[in-house]
Amino acid sequence: MKVTLAMKPAARSFIPIEAESIVPKNFLDGTDLLVWRGNRELRLDEVFSVSVEGDADRAEDVEVVLSGETSRLKRVGEYMDGGRITILGNIGMHCGNFMSGGTIEVHGNADGWLGREMAGGTIVCRGDAADYCASGYRGGRKGMTGGTVEVFGRAGDFLAESIAGGTVTVHGNAGDMAGAEMRGGTLVVHGDCRRPGANMKEGSCYVYGTAQGMLPTFRKIGTVQHEGHTLIRFAGDIANRGKGNLFVKDYEYLD
Amino acid sequence: MTELLVKNAYVIDPLRGINAETMDIAILDGKIVEEVSDAAEVIDARGMLTLPGGVDSHTHICGTKVNFGRYMSPEDMRAGRTPRQGPLHATSGYSVPTTYGNSYRYSVMGYTTLLEGAMAPLEARHTHEEFIYTPLQDTMANTLFDGNWAIMEAIRDGDVKRVAAIIGWTLRAVKGFAIKLTNPGGTEAWQWGKNVSCIRDPVPYFEVTPAEIIRSIVEANELLGLPHSVHLHCNNLGTPGNYSCTLGSLGLIPDLNKKRQTLYATHVQFHAYGGSDWKDFCSKSEPIARFVDMRPQIVMDMGQVMFGRTTTMTADGPMEFNLYRLHHEKWSNHDVELETGSGIIPVIYRRKNLVNSIMWAIGLELALLTKSPWQCLLTTDNPNGAPFVKYPEIIGLLMSKKYRDAEFATIHPDTEARVPLPAIERELDWYEIAVMTRAGQAKALGIQDLGKGHLGPGADADVAIYPLKIGEVDPSVDYQKVIDAFSRTEYTIKRGTVVARRGECLVDGSNATFWVRPKVSEAYDMGKDPDFIEKFDRYYTVRMRNYPVQEEYLNRNRCIETEARI
Repeated sequence: MKVTLAMKPAARSFIPIEAESIVPKNFLDGTDLLVWRGNRELRLDEVFSVSVEGDADRAEDVEVVLSGETSRLKRVGEYMDGGRITILGNIGMHCGNFMSGGTIEVHGNADGWLGREMAGGTIVCRGDAADYCASGYRGGRKGMTGGTVEVFGRAGDFLAESIAGGTVTVHGNAGDMAGAEMRGGTLVVHGDCRRPGANMKEGSCYVYGTAQGMLPTFRKIGTVQHEGHTLIRFAGDIANRGKGNLFVKDYEYLD
Repeated sequence: MTELLVKNAYVIDPLRGINAETMDIAILDGKIVEEVSDAAEVIDARGMLTLPGGVDSHTHICGTKVNFGRYMSPEDMRAGRTPRQGPLHATSGYSVPTTYGNSYRYSVMGYTTLLEGAMAPLEARHTHEEFIYTPLQDTMANTLFDGNWAIMEAIRDGDVKRVAAIIGWTLRAVKGFAIKLTNPGGTEAWQWGKNVSCIRDPVPYFEVTPAEIIRSIVEANELLGLPHSVHLHCNNLGTPGNYSCTLGSLGLIPDLNKKRQTLYATHVQFHAYGGSDWKDFCSKSEPIARFVDMRPQIVMDMGQVMFGRTTTMTADGPMEFNLYRLHHEKWSNHDVELETGSGIIPVIYRRKNLVNSIMWAIGLELALLTKSPWQCLLTTDNPNGAPFVKYPEIIGLLMSKKYRDAEFATIHPDTEARVPLPAIERELDWYEIAVMTRAGQAKALGIQDLGKGHLGPGADADVAIYPLKIGEVDPSVDYQKVIDAFSRTEYTIKRGTVVARRGECLVDGSNATFWVRPKVSEAYDMGKDPDFIEKFDRYYTVRMRNYPVQEEYLNRNRCIETEARI
């Protein structure tokens, strides 16, 4: 089953739309769903032109395609556990929160908190991801615990903050505090980033570019070969007796 | 004139000696009366268990410390969310909910009166502001005097009357209800980076010992004629082997008051530990309970720990630092100028953890081993041992050996060798539970004459009707029914209005705040004492005239005037 949701130009507004109901399994029972705009609850067809092709019995057989100006559409795919969501443009904050299965593909850019606290499944972002991609949430002990996030563009600050499992790969540069409070899982940044692995406890963080503002609380161990890159291995964050592994191609301490 | 008649109520009212009688309760304009006219609205209780509204004599629900617990735990606010509904506000939070969350959840459990366990005098406004937004319970605040500079100087000079005068002035200024001592001397020592190990260690600079602080303030409390006794959180909380320090503190207390206890020892579970370190940590509930059995001048509360996530918060700053060193999680530490301090950290009590399992057992043992239920009240030191929403489960555990055994089978296997709990057969009855959750608490707080904790004519019409017929339920077997009933009243009546019905709150309500104004002679009016004024203006960051909390901060103002003997 393929559900196409084309955002109506008239539905554009400054107030974001909270659309946690846009999850593949919800479409098994029809398209009679509700979304919020501010304190007003709207029917799905007030916001989108909805069309459905075919039918399905399982969430895995449902694909939802979002098109139009969706950059202020929040919480799409929250708690998703199977199926597929394809976003042709940009997507708003909190896409794929708590997701445990299925696939989300974003062809444009993703706003903050992409795949926050996800437990499984796959998110692919063809453009850039903003801050807190694949991270935890305010005050929480654990962020992402499983699954895969791949960003082909750049990522913002606090990439994979508090990650405890799963894999995050960014092909471009990442911002400040990548992998902060990391306690498991794997983070790979193909470009540069700043202050990676701050206060990490466990897990592995790879930076194939330059680690700027490298923290002094990592102990240098030696060089290793990893997937065709020669990387310098560090252990830390020793400030709080962390047992993480940080691998960087190159690094610069703060002056 | 509003009239209400609760018919066919199956009443247990320990303060009036009523144990399970079917009767009608007449209510006129928020008070219980002998009879009402035929025009009264009628609630048919159909033989359901009817108790005076619940009283919590030690809980942390309002004030700077609680609010900082909210502030530093945004993850806690993700639990327990309810949307705005009719007259009700939105709520959120689990161990440190919003004020409305606290108020609604307490109300659904039948609680109508709450005592905030620790209010720093300097930060009293915040507590009173939050009281206003705790609409369905009457409130009062314990006021912290554990590290008060002026008081410690007076103690050093051996002047108990001056101690009383300072307390009297401060209670009146901050609209406090009673005296709280939290780790007396220890929090002041913490401002010097130290702690006191027990009651004989001198406090740096002031050179007074916790024992002197406790004894002088207990005496001052009686000089002022306060309704409640001194409310003591003993030194050395949460360390292995601290029970001997607790016994030493309790042993300091003479019997000075005919009407009530002379000392209220709070969350004694945290003070009943044996062993010399965490490896041989064990329960010492038996010596404590035996000691309290022999001393009518002491009342304690359980401070029961229940498994799960919660937030610890106390004015005992050094203890929280020790806890931080165990957990390595987030920690807050706070200093309140010339008065006290505080610390907060979130914790998770786990069944698979031996120390946590022993703590869980100790609280229950204290309640079961203490002969008189009037001397061991039911609390969790909310939220330190567990959020108050766990009270029904604790009632279930106290009433059912079978439930205790079932739970015991799920905790750390080594617990059995460290605690006497498995050997205790006692199961509390309905009357004892009624004492431990309202009558005993009202008596200990000294508020039964103000119409709290009983259903006699003239009392405030605070009534809790539970959906339970006690003849038809055997609590030792059907403990789940007991838990369900105590979790959700059929009706909670507050000041003559039905405020909660079957788990739903119905009205926004408006609370009353009880506070104490001791009348002292001119010579002991600290507001005119040159030495007190001079030191106040020299050391505080606020001017003395800006310090008192204005009465505008109280919703319904229930001032208790006492005749002080100074």
